Amino acid sequence: MRDLTQIALETCSKEGASYADIRIVTMTGEDIAIKRGNIDSLNLRTVKGFGIRTIANGGLGFAGSYDITTNEIKRVAKLAVRIGKASGSTRKNPIKFVDVEAVEDSYKTPFKKDPFSVPTEKKIETLVEIDKRLREFNPEVIKMSQADYRGHREDKIFASTEGAYITQQITFCGGGFSCTAISPGTQPQRRSFPGSFRGNFSAEGYEYFESLNLLENVEKTAKEAIALTEAKACPTEKTTLLIDGHQLMLQIHESCGHPTELDRVLGTEAAFAGTSFMTPDLLGKLQYGSKLVNFVADSTSPTGLGTYGYDDEGVKAKKVDLVRDGLFVGYQSSRETAAIIGLEESSAGMRADNPQKLPLVRMVNINLEPGDWKRDEVIADTKKGILMSTNKSWSIDDKRLNFQFGTEIAWEIVNGEIGNIIKSPTYTAITPEFWGSMDAHSKDDWKLLGTPNCGKGQPGQVMYVGHGCGTARFHNIRVGVTKEATDTDGVQ
Amino acid sequence: MEFNKDLLFEKCQVLLKEATKLGASQAEVRIGLSTTALTRLANSIIDQNVAERHANVRTIVYFGKQKGSTTVEILDDASLKQAVADAVKVAKISPENKDFKSLPEKQTYDEIPLDELVSKKTINATPELRAEYATLAIDSAHAIDKRVKAVAGAISHGLYEEAILNSLGVEVYGAATGSNINLTVLAEDGKEQTAGWSSDNRNDFTQLQIKTVAEKAAKKAADGFGMKYIDSGNYEVILEPAAVGGLMFFMSYFGFSAMMYQDYISFLRDKIGEKIFDEKLNLWDDGFDKRLVYRGFYDDEGYPKSKLDMITNGVAMNLAYDTLTADKDGVKSTGHNAKFRGRSMPFPGNLLIGEGNSNLDEMIAETKNGILITHFHYQNAVNPTKGIFTGLTRDGAWLVKDGEIQYPLRTLRYTDSVLRFFANIDMIGKYSDLNDTQAKVPPMKLPSFTISGSQKE
Repeated sequence: MRDLTQIALETCSKEGASYADIRIVTMTGEDIAIKRGNIDSLNLRTVKGFGIRTIANGGLGFAGSYDITTNEIKRVAKLAVRIGKASGSTRKNPIKFVDVEAVEDSYKTPFKKDPFSVPTEKKIETLVEIDKRLREFNPEVIKMSQADYRGHREDKIFASTEGAYITQQITFCGGGFSCTAISPGTQPQRRSFPGSFRGNFSAEGYEYFESLNLLENVEKTAKEAIALTEAKACPTEKTTLLIDGHQLMLQIHESCGHPTELDRVLGTEAAFAGTSFMTPDLLGKLQYGSKLVNFVADSTSPTGLGTYGYDDEGVKAKKVDLVRDGLFVGYQSSRETAAIIGLEESSAGMRADNPQKLPLVRMVNINLEPGDWKRDEVIADTKKGILMSTNKSWSIDDKRLNFQFGTEIAWEIVNGEIGNIIKSPTYTAITPEFWGSMDAHSKDDWKLLGTPNCGKGQPGQVMYVGHGCGTARFHNIRVGVTKEATDTDGVQ
Repeated sequence: MEFNKDLLFEKCQVLLKEATKLGASQAEVRIGLSTTALTRLANSIIDQNVAERHANVRTIVYFGKQKGSTTVEILDDASLKQAVADAVKVAKISPENKDFKSLPEKQTYDEIPLDELVSKKTINATPELRAEYATLAIDSAHAIDKRVKAVAGAISHGLYEEAILNSLGVEVYGAATGSNINLTVLAEDGKEQTAGWSSDNRNDFTQLQIKTVAEKAAKKAADGFGMKYIDSGNYEVILEPAAVGGLMFFMSYFGFSAMMYQDYISFLRDKIGEKIFDEKLNLWDDGFDKRLVYRGFYDDEGYPKSKLDMITNGVAMNLAYDTLTADKDGVKSTGHNAKFRGRSMPFPGNLLIGEGNSNLDEMIAETKNGILITHFHYQNAVNPTKGIFTGLTRDGAWLVKDGEIQYPLRTLRYTDSVLRFFANIDMIGKYSDLNDTQAKVPPMKLPSFTISGSQKE
C-alpha cells in the first residue's frame, strides 16, 4: 500500500499541488437485529476505498474512489488537484494549515476479545434470548421487542506530502434492546436499555457487549415500559431537573459538542447544520455555564468512540479544554480552521466516515468532567424535581441556543426520594442559561458513553462519537412542553 | 455516453449464480454505481469541493425463512463471490423471519425512458463549471444588498446507475442524474445578522436557476433586519413550499409507512379511511409524475412503483407497502421498498400535494395575526403515535398582521400535531417555479399553528 500512497502523492505534486494527503481505508462491520422474534437484519459490511486531499492554486480539492488500483489512484489524484485549482479561483487568500509534526507511527484501540473473532452464532443466541424474554414477560402488553448488536472496525493508512505515514486500527462494538408496551386505551410506551437507538457502544472488544448485562436488565426494562402506560403525564411547569447519563450525553452533544466545532463557527455549515453562538470574539469571555461546568474534547480517553492515535490529517490525539469553570475557552478544530483564528495547533478533530469522504471537524469524546457528588446525593439533596432518562426526541436551533428534548421516562423527586413514574417527559431551555443553572454533577455513575449516529456535512456523513457524564442537576427548567403546546386543542 | 447496464447485469449474475451454487433458496442482489460532485460555499468562497465514485453491492440470501446479507464496496468477481459466501454463512445460522414469504416474482415494468431521467449535460459537468456557478451565485447575492456578508451553500450533481436482480426473475436497470443548488445568504448591518434561503433541483445541471436562487436568498436576508421576538401561542401560519415539504417528509415517514403502522408508531393507526385532515388536502406518491425532478419506476427490491393515494379530500387513504409488510397484512406491495441507513422499510419518496389557486400575496392579505415561514430546521418527532413534531423556523420568518407583513421574527420553535394543524387549511397556493424540495408541494395557509418557544425562552 505504501507504494500506492507514493504514487498518489507524487501525482498530486506533479500536477501542481502544494500539499496532498491520501487515506486508504478498509471498514468492516457486523450488524445483527432481532425484532419480534424474527431476524430483522444480519448484515456484514465491507467498504474499501481511498480519498485524496490536495491544496492547489490556494484552494482545497478532494476526490475519492472505491477502486484501489494504480490507474484509478492516478486519475483521482489528478482530479483532486483540478478540483483544488477550481476552488482556488474563488479565494482571495490561499488556504493555510497550522504546522504538524509529520510522523511515521501506528496505533490500535486495545481490546481483550476481538469482536470479529467471536462467532456470530453466539451473538445471535444472546439477542434471540433477550427478544424472547422481553415478549414473554407479558405477551398481552409487550407488543414490540428488538435486540441489536453492532461491531465496527477501520483499518486506515494516512500519508502526506509532508512525510507522514500512519497506520491505525479502530474497533468498537456494542448493542442493546428496546420494547414497546401497549395497553387498551393508552398510548404505546417504549423503554430501551442501556440507551435508545440500538444501545450503547464502546471502543473495546466483545467484553464490552458482555459487560452490558443485557439479559439481567430485561425484566426491569419491560416493567418500566408497562408502568409507563399507566403513568401520569409530565406536568407543565418550571422545576428542578435531574438528567442521567443516557440523556445528558445527547444534551452535551447538541449544546456543547456541535457549537464548539470551529468549522461551523466559521461558517462552513451555515447553509446546512447551522452556525454557532460561541463565536471567536467570546472566547475567554462567555460564561457558558456555572463554575461546576468543565468540558473537554479528548481523543485520548480510553474506550471512547472518539478515541484514536491520529486524526485524518495526521495530527496526534490530544485533550483540549472547551469550557473551564464555566468559561468558554476553546474549540474543536482542524489544521485549516485553527490557522484562520490564529491558534498554534489543531485539536486533532478531523475525521471522515468513509474513505471516499472529505474529513471534517468531528466531535471526539466531549466529556463533562466528573463532579464531586454521588448520584444518590444529588437525588437526596433535591426537595422537588423530576429525573429524566433515555433520549426519545431531540431538536436544537441552528445557533445551538434553543433546544427541546424528550425522554422515554422520568420520575418525580419528592423530598429527596424517587417517586412516581412520569410518561412523555419533555424539557426546553436556552444553552447558557441551562448550563448556568447546573449546581451538581455526580462522579460515581460517570461513564464514557458512545453513539455512532452523529450527522454532519454535505455530502452527509455519520460519525461515531463519545460523551462522558454522570447525573447532573439543573434549576428552573421548563418541562412538559408537549402537553403545554397541545393540551388546549385536545390532542394530548 | 456509455452506460454500465451490461456490466451491472453481468456482476449481478455473478452474485446470483454464486448464491444458487451455495444452495440459497432465494436471493436478491443490487449493485449501484454513483459518480457525484459537490462544491460547498462558505463566506463567499468555495470552502469544500469534492468528487466521489462509489460502487455499492448488496446481497440478500434466504434459506427458507433464514436470511443473511452483506453490503460491500468492492467490485472484483472474487470479492463479489466472497460477499455471497459471507451472506450464506450468516443466513445458515440466522433465526427465521416468520413474516417472510417470498421475494417478488418476475415483474413487468412501465419504464420511464432513459433520456427523460438522464441529462448528458449533468454527466459532463466539470469542477470549472461548478466554480463558474459558484461565482455567479456569490456575485448575484452580493449585488442585491450591500449588507450581504456571506454566501453559503452547495452546488452538486451526480449520475446514479443501478441493477436489481433476484432469483425469481426480477431484473431491472435504472439510471438517473440529478443536481441541486441550495444557498443560505447571511447579511449584517453591524447590529444583527440575518439569513435567507432558497434552493432548486433539476435533472439537467445547466438548468439550475443559480441567479434566481441567489437573489431570492439574498433578498430574504436583506428583508430580515429588525427582528423581534413574539410570545408563544397559536398563530395563523403561511408555510412556503419548503416548509410544507419538510412537514410532509415527517408525515410520510412516520405516518404512511406500513412498517411504522405495524410497529405501533404511526399516528394513522386505526384512522385509515377516516376524514382526519382538511378536505382541501390531497397528498399522493407517484414516481412517474413528470413534475418531479427525482422519478423512478421501481423500488429498492425491484418491484414496480404504483401511484399511491395517501390523503384524498382530507381522508387518510392508503399506507405504503413493500413485499414483506404487504405479505404480513395480506395485501399487494405498492412498490415502495426503501433500503437506507441499514433499514428496509416502505417509504413514499415521490410526494406531491395538490395545488390550489391562491398565492403568497393573497395568503398574506387574508392573515389577521400570523407568521410567514421560509422553512424549518431540525424537525423531529416528539411523539409519532400522536403525530406530534417539533422544529424551528430558519432563514426568514415574518409576523403578518391585518393583511400586511409587519416585521421579521427571531427563530421560533413549533411543537404541534399534524392531526391538529392539518385538520383545517385556509388556502393552498400554486407550485413554485423553483423545485425548492424533492417533493412537489405548494404553499399553504393554516388557521392555527402552535409556537412553543424561541431563542430567548
